[in-house]
Amino acid sequence: MSYIAAGYATALSVLFSYGVALTARRRRLERAVMGAGEDGGAETRAAPR
Amino acid sequence: MSAALPWTRRRATVVRAVGVVGVVGTALTVWLGLWVTSPDKVQGDLVRLVYLHPPIAWVALYLAFGTAALSSVLWLWPRTRSMFWDRLAVSAMEVGVVFTALTLVTGTLWGRPTWGVWWAWDARLTSTALLLVLQLGYLALRRVPTDPQARARRSAIAAVITAVDVPIVHFSVNWWHTLHQDATVLNANLSPTIHGSMAWTLLLGFVSITLVFLWLLAERYRIEVLSDDAAETSFESALAERWAEGGVAVDEPLADPEAGPRQPVRS
Repeated sequence: MSYIAAGYATALSVLFSYGVALTARRRRLERAVMGAGEDGGAETRAAPR
Repeated sequence: MSAALPWTRRRATVVRAVGVVGVVGTALTVWLGLWVTSPDKVQGDLVRLVYLHPPIAWVALYLAFGTAALSSVLWLWPRTRSMFWDRLAVSAMEVGVVFTALTLVTGTLWGRPTWGVWWAWDARLTSTALLLVLQLGYLALRRVPTDPQARARRSAIAAVITAVDVPIVHFSVNWWHTLHQDATVLNANLSPTIHGSMAWTLLLGFVSITLVFLWLLAERYRIEVLSDDAAETSFESALAERWAEGGVAVDEPLADPEAGPRQPVRS
């Protein structure tokens, strides 16, 4: 049973951590780009392509 | 911005919904796989790892790598060339690396009690490990400093070349008949040799993990777009600073438009 638990724990924790890390990075970048837009008129570049 | 924002919100809502459904489906798969389904007659409880390992491998091998390879071909094709395909390719490749690594880890954790070894130089295992190395090589290649077009071109060529490994991984169990078992679901007759609650749990696992992949891919793609925007913004800020050093307003009209771009003047 320990192999099964290890398999599930590894897969789920890695996927969860990766998802959280991506979301945090995306939000940080969004804030940075929007902030730069307010300062330097780059607001329109925050729109997705 | 005003026209783009509602569409952005709608897309963000769709991406979030895909993520939530994927996570809930994965949780349901875990519950069914660990507590509801019966042990297998041959494998016993170890069959429970099968509800996770093949769906992850399906994403790594076919979805992630397929998306990266197809996007790269579409970038290389002059008629469809767009940075969208380059961004999609690198996003799929990076997410694919995570899934390929998990394929190897979950496979090893199944193989140790089943085969008695953590690792064997079996055709399926070796070709999958090679795939992981190729994916890492692709990501390393992208970090070589150059202009975006050259980076996209060399990355696309690398992705297309490495795609040769995908059919090798898929057919390795049929060509060499080494330790890894033959395909259970995607076999030659397309007749899954699994049934009942096991089949439905496995199917739910495939759908859920696919949705999780799509959610991660969308998030990673958005990061790629934002990174390009941030780089562009920082370049323009640096340019504006250089102009300011020369004591000239950035939006000041050129005195002589025929004279070409104005150079900052050092005081």
